[in-house]
Order: sequence, then C-alpha cells, then structure tokens
Amino acid sequence: MNTAAAAAAQYLALSRRAMFGTLRKPTSFVPSLLFPLMFLALTSSSLERSISIEGFPEVDSFLQFAVATAVIQGVIFGSISAGSGMAEDIEGGFFERLIASPVARTSILAGRLAGTAALGFCQAWIYFAVTSIFGLSVEGGLAGMLAVAIVAAALAAGVGSISVALAIKTGSAEATEGSFPLFFALLFLSSAYFPRSLMEGWFKAAATLNPMSYLLESLRSIVVAELSALNFFTALGIALGVLVVGLAVASALLKRRLAMDA
Amino acid sequence: MSSLAVTWGVTHRTLQLVARLPSTIVPSLVMPVVLTVAFAGAFSGLVLLPGHPADKAIDWFLPLYTIQGAAFAGVRVGIAVARDLTTGFYDRLLLSPASRVSLLAGSLLASPLLSVLSFILLVVIAGLGGASFKAGPAGIVMLGVASFSMALAAGAWSVGLALRFKTQQIAPLMQTTVFLASFLSSAQMPLNLLDGWLHTVAVINPMTNVFALARQGFLGSVNWHDTWPGLVSLAGLTVFFCLFAYRSMQKVTP
Amino acid sequence: MDGIDLAVQPGEIFGFLGPNGAGKSTTVRMLTTLLKPSGGRAFVAGYDVFKEAHQVRQAIGVALQDAAIDPLMTGRELLRLQATLHGIPRRKGRAKGEELLETVGLMSAAARRVGTYSGGMRRRLDLALALIHGPQILFLDEPTTGLDPNSRLAVWDEVRKLNREAGTTVFLTTQYMEEADRLAGRIAIIDDGRLVSEGTPAVLKAQVGDPSIHVQLASNEDRISAEAVLLDFGAPAAARSGYVAARLPGGANQMAAVVRALDDAHLPVEAIELHMPSLDDVFQVATGHRLEGAEDDAVAEPGAGEVAAEK
Repeated sequence: MNTAAAAAAQYLALSRRAMFGTLRKPTSFVPSLLFPLMFLALTSSSLERSISIEGFPEVDSFLQFAVATAVIQGVIFGSISAGSGMAEDIEGGFFERLIASPVARTSILAGRLAGTAALGFCQAWIYFAVTSIFGLSVEGGLAGMLAVAIVAAALAAGVGSISVALAIKTGSAEATEGSFPLFFALLFLSSAYFPRSLMEGWFKAAATLNPMSYLLESLRSIVVAELSALNFFTALGIALGVLVVGLAVASALLKRRLAMDA
Repeated sequence: MSSLAVTWGVTHRTLQLVARLPSTIVPSLVMPVVLTVAFAGAFSGLVLLPGHPADKAIDWFLPLYTIQGAAFAGVRVGIAVARDLTTGFYDRLLLSPASRVSLLAGSLLASPLLSVLSFILLVVIAGLGGASFKAGPAGIVMLGVASFSMALAAGAWSVGLALRFKTQQIAPLMQTTVFLASFLSSAQMPLNLLDGWLHTVAVINPMTNVFALARQGFLGSVNWHDTWPGLVSLAGLTVFFCLFAYRSMQKVTP
Repeated sequence: MDGIDLAVQPGEIFGFLGPNGAGKSTTVRMLTTLLKPSGGRAFVAGYDVFKEAHQVRQAIGVALQDAAIDPLMTGRELLRLQATLHGIPRRKGRAKGEELLETVGLMSAAARRVGTYSGGMRRRLDLALALIHGPQILFLDEPTTGLDPNSRLAVWDEVRKLNREAGTTVFLTTQYMEEADRLAGRIAIIDDGRLVSEGTPAVLKAQVGDPSIHVQLASNEDRISAEAVLLDFGAPAAARSGYVAARLPGGANQMAAVVRALDDAHLPVEAIELHMPSLDDVFQVATGHRLEGAEDDAVAEPGAGEVAAEK
C-alpha cells in the first residue's frame, strides 16, 4: 500500500514535470498549437470550393472535413516535444539523477507519456473551441468531441513513446526533433488532407495501406456524420497500436541504456 | 575588388555553415520535395474542379513548393546570421574594416545560392513526376527567376530581423511570416476559385503575382501578361526587404 | 560605465583589471567600435572611435574570449576568412595564415574543426586571428579565463613575445591579479564601472605599503624581546596569533639581518614568513573588498612564488 502510494506520487510528479516542462517552453509549444490552426484556416479557406468536386464526401464545409486532421497534426507536432524533453534530461544529466534515485523505472516512461497525453487531450478541446467560433458543427455532438479528444490523448502518448524511444536511443534533442518530417510524411501519405476517393495511382495505394488514413477517416466520420462505436474503436485501436509498439521499443531501449550505465 | 572578396568570403562561410549543420541542410533540400510529392499526390483530385487552370496537380503544386523552398533557404540564412549574432561570431565580421554593405551582401547572396540546389532537385522531380512543362525551357527560366528573387527577398527579411533582434529566438517569426506571406495568396487555389476574405487578401498580396509568373510555363505559354506583374512584385519585394536589412545593419554598429 | 579616463602609451602592455561584471568587456566593446557609448570620447591609434571607426578597425586586432570562434570551421578556414575580411590579397593572406599557425603551434590541428580544440588551442587561434593584419594595437579580452595553468603560461609567453618583438601595444583585460602583475607594464583597476586605481604594478603595490616579516617563536615568553628586536627594522605590523610582525621598508634584503639579530638575542625561531604586498591587497585597499577567487588563483598558479624574485 505504502509503496503503491509512493509510486503513484512519483508518477504524478514526473508527469506534472513533463507537462509543465513543455508548457514552460512556449517556443516549442505555441507553434505546435498554433501552426495546425493556421494551416487549417488557410486550407479551409483556399479549398472551400473543392467540396463540390464529384466524389467528395458529404460535408458542410472544408473546415468540417479538415478539423480532425488539424487535431491529429497538432497532437503529433506537440508530442515530439515529449521526446526532446527526455533527450534534454539525458543531455542535462537529470536522467542520470532519476536513474540513481529509487524512482520506479516504469514511472520514468509512464510519467512523461501521461503528461503528453493530457496535453493532447486539452489540445483537441482547444481546437474544437476555436473552430466552433468559425462555424464548425460536430455532428457527433459533445460525446463525439470527447471521443476525438480521447483518441488524440492516446495518439499523443503513442507518438510520444516513439519520440521518447528515439531520445533514449540518440540522447540528442536535436536528433529527436529531426524525426518530425517522418511523422509528417506518414500523415501526408494518408487521406488526412483530401479524400481517398479523389486520389489516384501509387499515392492512393499508399494511403490505403497507411493506418493513419483509417484513424483520420474514423475521426472525420464522428465530426461530419455521427459517433458510432465502430468509428471510435477503430481510431482508438490504431492510436493504442502505435502506443504499444512505441512502448515496447522505448522500454527495450531504456533497459539497454540502464544495462549500459550499470 | 577587396569588397567583392569580402562579400564572397562571407557568402562562402554562410554556405559552409549551412552545409555543416545537418539539421539545416537536410530539411532545406528534403522538405520542398516531400511537400511537392505529398501535395501533388494528396490533392490530385483538386484539378478536377471546374475552372482550375492545371491539368495535373504537380503542375500546380511544384512551382508553389519551389518558391516556398527558395524562401525558406532565405530563412535558413537568416537563422545562420542569428546564430552568429547569438554566439558572438558576428563580432568578428563587425570588427573588420570591411564595409558594412559588403558584409551584408555576403549574407544576402548566400540565400539564392543555397536555393539553387533544391531548385535543380525539384526540376528533376518535376520531370520524373510527369509535370507538363508546357512552355519548355522558358517556363523553367521563369520559375528560376521567381525562386532566386524570392530567396533573396526572404533572405533579406530574415537577415534584417536577425540583425535587429540579435537572437536565434527570432527564428519562428521569420518562418511564420514567410509561411503566411506565401499562403495568403493564390498558393493553393487559383484566384477565380477563391472566395471571401482569402480572395480579398490574395488579390492584394504580391505573392499571387509571383506564383502566376512561376506557374505560367507549367499551365500554358509564357506570356507578358503573366510575367510583368510578377517581375514588378519581385523587384518591389527585393528592394524593400534589402533596404530593411540595410537599415538593420546600420543600427548594429555605429 | 562611469566616466573612465585612461591613456595607454604606444608599445606598452596595459592591464585592465577587475572582477566579473565590473565593466571590462563593455569598455573593450566601446574601444573596438562594437558599442556606441552614451557619452564621452575615445581615441584609438589617434582615431576617434566613433567618427573614424573604419580607421580604428584597420589599426586594431581583437581577441574576444571564446565566443567569436565558430566550432564548425577549421582553424585554417577561420584564418583565411579573417585575412579576406581585412582585405589582404588571397595569396598573401594564406601565407600569413600559415605563418601564424606555425607561430602559435597549431599547424598540426589546422585542418581540424575548432569544435575539437582544447580551450588553450582556441585562445591561441584567437590570438593568431587577431594578428593576421599585423595590428598596431591588440585588444585581449580575458585571454586566459578558464584555461589550465600550462595553457595560461603559453598564452602569456605569446603576448610578451609579440609586445617585445613587434612592438605591438596590448590592451588586456583580466580578472586575474597574477596575469596583470606578470604581463602588464601598467594597470588600471576597475570596479563596478569606476576606475579605482592606476599605475605600474610596483607603484601600486608600494602604495599599499612595505613588505612585512612575520616570525613565529619557539616560546611565547620571548614575545616582548622579539618585538623589541624587530622594532629596530621597522614599525610593528598586525600578525596572526603566535606570530610577531614588522614592516620592512628595505624589503626582502633585510631578511638575513633580521634572522641574525634574532639569533644574536638568543631567541629560538620556529618559522619566518615574508609577505609581499600583492595586487590583491591593492584591490582590497582601493575597493574595500577582495577580488573574487583571488586566493584560488594564487594557489593554482604555478610559479606564483617567482613574483618577488622577478621584480
């Protein structure tokens, strides 16, 4: 009981540190919050007329089509800072101190990822709040928004775990942040920005193979049509899949790093 | 004679610096390519919209990302100068008896030169990706003129900001302003298919003319009507931002 | 900065001494045209620093601590860039660069990036860079801060040689007493943006007072008689417990006579110490507080004991 309480306290302290560490660095956090919004504003104004193309799914506006993508883009953007925060801890020596202390090894990972997930969750709500000012209506209602926010949190932890793995592997904040184009490419090679029905050739094939397409299409359905168990669990499943893979790699690398230090 | 040597010396060092920072050189080469491929692929259906002037999405998006890539080459040079100002290396340049104009010219010249690499790479990608090149070499020349001038203008803006604020923390401002300036235009959609506030802004934004200049050879023939507004806009932007950079330089040392 | 009035003679090494944050770097930045002062005038090599900045820049060489060295460039590349910046023709600049690499002993490291250099190597490179155009006046801003004792000695040797052989005037800032004492012909002490003292090291030290002799006696009962003996040589001085002390206007030369006199009076002696006034004392008298780290500095300095012998 006592040890469980201590572990919980450690875990909370570390996740708070991860979260406020990110918030305290506005130069990394603010762009990750604002850039996707800016991009959303630009594309939904630019491409508004494209929703009349034959074969474009039934939507109110391009904004309604694209809002889920902005949420996911922001979450991916923001979660990479989880890894670079970890890398800075390694560079700065805080990591060594943590390892030397009796803090449970799992808290180190879980604490950081919980902080990142919380930020992702909030980020989704901020995006919904801002876009609703500009006339967005979410067909899935409040429950639908909650569903999107939950998936956003799960994906934040997932992407965070991969970038944490990179941080443990490279020990360099710069190298970790350099992974951003990789996630970005993964997002782009999907139906994140335009419907698959209007793609062709190898690009369509790639988008069809990319799990990101299904995550985004499910979230989009919640926004433009309705909240269904299928949509929610498809999106959540994919996000959790990323998390499971990322956690496995991160904890294996952490174990190796600890063995190396010992 | 020796002023030219100074200018070239500073240019050479700036390019060397960018080349030796992998975090800088890789994105400046790779990002425009990734974005071109991604947009041309993802938005391939966009050209189906009635009234859209392009036959293929790559004809529409390649000039956009060539120009944006060139503009970001200018931003990278601005960041390099900001780095030198942060670390104190720039003091070495300022302490020399070289004229301030040749020092500034050295930094500014680096941007168009840096953008040459991604320009060549993108023209090759365009060829591989089946771009139309309807006007042949003349179209490529127009794209080149637009890109290199854009690199110079964006470089002057970024270097000017660096000299004014003397910190690397100004980098996001450089990036955001260049990004917004290029996207608040006909960047993604032709003017005739834009509505509302964005249409209004795009009509005023000189970047719309620059994109028209760069795109004409991919959409049809190279003609005077699409050329002169672009050239005037580029000349205006370049002169304006070079003056801004010069004024910033004057404020740095007595 | 608060109304600093200074004159440096051609061909001398002038030491500008003060603790961290005293305003040394600000002064150097003003004198080297990097910073515009709010008021006042300054002439360097006969040129007005603010109105004739170009001429000043031609006349001076500046080494600004570590900062102005790019870790991504090699030593040779930096020297070539520096030559170009000073308008030296390409071939001549390259030859001069190689010559300087040889002089400062960096030939074997010339093709390596500066990021791989040790602190001492960087300072020597910085010195070489400042010399590429054969300046009349050399500004060195804390040339040895953060260096290990051996590297510090190497930099000192280089600076002395330069001053002796090329007649280069050197304006040196430092927070180390030892450095000012050993290198500079004249010293200005600055504290909190104010000039508190100026002169040659010997004169400054003499202002503080004479050397003093401190004697520890075998038996405390001999105290009174020992004090009487010492009174023949100079006024009594404050001593730590167990010691008797006196000022020696005649300096170290009187040591032997003191020992003989104590022996003649049959006063057995445990230990004798001679205290030379140091620039640290000068600083303390002038500012009312000690120079930070002065004590560590003296301990870390090899050959600190030579001071008395050398002067």
